[in-house]
Amino acid sequence: MPQVRNNSDSQFLYASLPALPVIFGGLVVSWQDGAALDTVCASLLLVLCGIGSGLFLWHRHVNELAHINACWEHDENSKIDAVETYTTELERLLLTISPILSQHVMASREHTEQEIISLTSRFSGMVNDLKQIVDSADNTLNGQHDHLESITNTTRDLLQPVLESLRRIHQVEHGVMGEIQKLSGYMSGLNATAAEVHNLAGQINRLANEASSVGEQGFAVVAGNARKLADDALQIDQRLTNNATDIIAAVNATVTVSESAGQVDDSTLFQAETNINQTLSQLRLALIHYRDDIEALRNNAEQIRGEINNVLVALQFQDRVSQILTQVENNLLNLQKTIEKIQKQGRNRDGNMLRVDEAVEHIEENYKSVSSRPNQAQDDSDDLTFF
Amino acid sequence: MAKTIMIVDDSASMRQVVTIALKGAGYEVIEASDGKDALSKLTGVKIHLIVSDINMPVMDGITFVKEVKQLDHYKFTPIIMLTTEMEPEKKLAAKEAGAKAWVTKPFQPPILLAAIAKLVLP
Repeated sequence: MPQVRNNSDSQFLYASLPALPVIFGGLVVSWQDGAALDTVCASLLLVLCGIGSGLFLWHRHVNELAHINACWEHDENSKIDAVETYTTELERLLLTISPILSQHVMASREHTEQEIISLTSRFSGMVNDLKQIVDSADNTLNGQHDHLESITNTTRDLLQPVLESLRRIHQVEHGVMGEIQKLSGYMSGLNATAAEVHNLAGQINRLANEASSVGEQGFAVVAGNARKLADDALQIDQRLTNNATDIIAAVNATVTVSESAGQVDDSTLFQAETNINQTLSQLRLALIHYRDDIEALRNNAEQIRGEINNVLVALQFQDRVSQILTQVENNLLNLQKTIEKIQKQGRNRDGNMLRVDEAVEHIEENYKSVSSRPNQAQDDSDDLTFF
Repeated sequence: MAKTIMIVDDSASMRQVVTIALKGAGYEVIEASDGKDALSKLTGVKIHLIVSDINMPVMDGITFVKEVKQLDHYKFTPIIMLTTEMEPEKKLAAKEAGAKAWVTKPFQPPILLAAIAKLVLP
């Protein structure tokens, strides 16, 4: 053992060094004065003292070294214990944290996935709703032109007979007015007839006067009858004249009212026709606006549907996120397994067992593989390949 | 009668996006979360086409395609790979396993529907 040999050498050195000057001094004295017994004894005594002093110094040195070694060993053991404690705690920390981190990652992944599913579902519903709007608008627009014409024509067809009826009524009114005017003419004729009756009554009366002036009894009777006849004719004439006058007045009033009503009817009919045409034009305009609004609504719905479809494509990023998070989970699990395996080696474990570089390279390769995939293929030819 | 398509993907959100696209085009859809789950659902029911991811837990897409090609009832069912992978090696592996087409994620629904329309069995 080199330590023992070193100790023996140092012990001999410590013991012999103080004796050497005494031995040298004894030899010099013996050479000058001769080897006297007392000199030799004194020299031996001095040598023994020197050896004793050397051994004392050696023991003292050894004790000091032992003390220093003990201090150093204690210090080293304390450091080793501290490192051991640190390593153990580090391992415990990693083994404790790793499952927690894995759970967090898994929970995040599942939560994100659920939310993406929910979002996708809602967007899908919106796309379907918009598709129905677009389809409905398409159907409406496809039949809109014919429908518009149909509504206008139907309305015109419905209103046209009303206008025709009004025209016919107007014509009838004009006809009635003409007939009334004719009647008025007839009344004038009747008035003339009354005048003729009046004239005839006068002639009869004159005839009666001539007959009575003749004096004959027979003529007197005739004259009386003629006079009576003339009176009756006059009465008839008077009634006829009165009636004709009343009828003419009534006819004139009717004609006046009819002419006035006819003028009102003309203007009303014209106004009605104008209003109907304006209403039809406004109806047509409203239907055109309605059609334009439907078309705009359809185009907007189509645009929004396209945007939502793009969003649905973009939401596929969840697949990538899910892969990355799965990779994180796996890496944490592998780290946990590695540390548990090394931990079982106790004090025999060493840093090489971790194979840090290899592990880091593996993790980097995995992440590179997942994260280097593009979000969108560079061109369409990359999207689809047939074998 | 509507055609039936099976979608195999471990991501529920991706399954939903694909399902929405397919149902919107009038297809019936059967969902599976990985290759093993999909195989358990291939029990004689008529499947006109399969859309499968590649990177999945339990059983990956390439293995799943190989397994399907071993099934008498489904060995002629066309399979489309729908994946984020772009490596030529993976494409070659899918082709050799028996896949008929490869669609890259994220996908535009019209592209997937065009591929399905071309491959779906009558």
